[in-house]
Amino acid sequence: MPDPAGLTARLRSLLARLTASWGSRESSVPALVATLGLLAVLPVALDVSVLGLSLGGLLSVHLLVVTLIWAIAAQGWNLAAGLTGEFSFGHAAFFGLGAYAPLVLAREFAVNPWLGTVIGAVLAAGYALVVGVLSFRYNVRGSYFALITLAFAELLLHVFVNVERFGAASGFVKPLPGAYGTDFGLAAFQFRETLPYYYVTLGFLGVVTLVVFAIKRARLGLYLAAIRDNEDGATASGIPLVRYKLFAFAVSAFLTALAGACWAMYFTSIRPRVVFGVLVNLDILLPAVIGGLGTVVGPIAGSFVLTVVSELARQSVDLPRLQTVVYGILLLVVVLKSPGGVVSLFGRVSDWFEERRTYAESRSVSDD
Amino acid sequence: MLGLLLGGIYAFVALGLAVIFGVMDVINVAHGGFVVVGMYTVWFVADSLGYPPYLGIPLAAAGLFAGGALIQRTTIAPVMEGPEENKFLVTVAFLVLLVALVEMQFSATPRQLDVGLGSTAVGGVYVLEGQLFALTVAAVTFAAVWVLLHRTDVGRAIRGTADNRLGAAYAGVDVRRVDYITFGLGAALAGLAGGLITFIQPFDPYLGNEYLTIAFVVVVLGGLGSIPGTLLGGLIVGMLHVFGSFYLPGTYYNVLIMLVFIVVLLVKPTGLLGSEHRA
Repeated sequence: MPDPAGLTARLRSLLARLTASWGSRESSVPALVATLGLLAVLPVALDVSVLGLSLGGLLSVHLLVVTLIWAIAAQGWNLAAGLTGEFSFGHAAFFGLGAYAPLVLAREFAVNPWLGTVIGAVLAAGYALVVGVLSFRYNVRGSYFALITLAFAELLLHVFVNVERFGAASGFVKPLPGAYGTDFGLAAFQFRETLPYYYVTLGFLGVVTLVVFAIKRARLGLYLAAIRDNEDGATASGIPLVRYKLFAFAVSAFLTALAGACWAMYFTSIRPRVVFGVLVNLDILLPAVIGGLGTVVGPIAGSFVLTVVSELARQSVDLPRLQTVVYGILLLVVVLKSPGGVVSLFGRVSDWFEERRTYAESRSVSDD
Repeated sequence: MLGLLLGGIYAFVALGLAVIFGVMDVINVAHGGFVVVGMYTVWFVADSLGYPPYLGIPLAAAGLFAGGALIQRTTIAPVMEGPEENKFLVTVAFLVLLVALVEMQFSATPRQLDVGLGSTAVGGVYVLEGQLFALTVAAVTFAAVWVLLHRTDVGRAIRGTADNRLGAAYAGVDVRRVDYITFGLGAALAGLAGGLITFIQPFDPYLGNEYLTIAFVVVVLGGLGSIPGTLLGGLIVGMLHVFGSFYLPGTYYNVLIMLVFIVVLLVKPTGLLGSEHRA
């Protein structure tokens, strides 16, 4: 029989450690494992009811899939904007390419969507290289970088709106697995139920998060941070500026394109405006900004905060476009009141634990 | 002629954006939201209150001046010194907020103002009177803004702040007050433009987003914060639109406009008429 006081102390220190690692800008392995583990059991937790209240009343598996898709996109964007300081407002270009590629290839050439997903991501990375080479060569910075990435995304939007082969402005319906010679299942990247989509998307999120995490923890991550914080200083310290900026931008595009592929395989049809539109850029960056720019857990946490808050709002007052209003208010509050994002709140909680602990220690010392 | 008209409207929609960009160096994405609020103010006055739609235009301008100054004071001033993306994000938040609120109130159904104006022959070309009215108000406003910036003390303070914030502050200019006025002015101009758009075309809450992209192109093309540059940029984009839609299939003229935009951003981000001398 372990003594309860010791147990609560141990529990408290565990919580303190966890919140500290979630909250810090430096990401740690336990925080990641805990986050992904939580996500893995989340669909099961939806059905558990405590005192008549259950998560399932608030969230559905469908919402969870959508939440994860935007978390992946935001994680990809985060690599460029949060880690390297390339504040792109045009990641819809990469999301859209990633979404269109598997569908178009499956429809026109009966290519398996898994291959199409990879091709789409490579295409997106290629497009990012074009954008990057031009903007970095001409040294487009700050607000102008946001504008030029937006211009490149709008360019693709207008091209796709005009290509009849891809269904032009009204798009086309996702081909069924039969169109590329498979049956529903993992090999087809299409399922009859929603739950498998959740785990496939979670798998993508895990991979994408690991990539960002590995880059951040490696020496490479230090280079990128140096570029973010002071480009001239980074160059002066001998970091090949353009090469690393290009690398980060291309990998970021690749990862965001994977989110596009998940989106395309999950929903039933595609139109240029829903994957390339101006507001898609916002959907992509919002989770990362809300969660905490430049942190690895941030985009995931931010995506969940957005979903939960907008669902709460929708279920209490059902008005059209309420979700967008909620997004706007959340964005304002975070930028003005808590620029570190939601994740930094964990940091505050862990500070509070820390204070409590030092306070208790000082008291026990004075008691003696 | 059509290109000229379209160019004039584009230039006018971009004017407010140019003023704010030139003075405060803020990419005001909320501009699109202000334009939409302007449109629906006129719609509200004409449709719900039953007054002539003309009355809605000064109302939109006055309301948005106050609203803009308030937004600047409460949300942009606190992040003015911070990282660039924070200013950008605040204006993004207002864009989605305003558009969503307008849609909640007035629904997304496309509307058309029934102004009952005919068309008149100008130099042998028939022009809709709504368009003529819009163009006249736009021209007068352009002139008024130019006079305000170049012939009044407030205007001198604004231009001084645009040239050199710190220098202006040392010379006794209340830079923060200039920011309120500038942002209010930019918002009012956006509202005015939105109000005028209702006279020339059907509109819905998402029209602001489309005009926003065009306004960015116009502002950057002409030269940041340069009023003649904004006019020139508007005319170029208007011509690209008209000739592009004539010679190219579908809406490929949009692709053309974006390509021109990208080239200008790369090669001469200060725009065609932009220089050190702004506003």
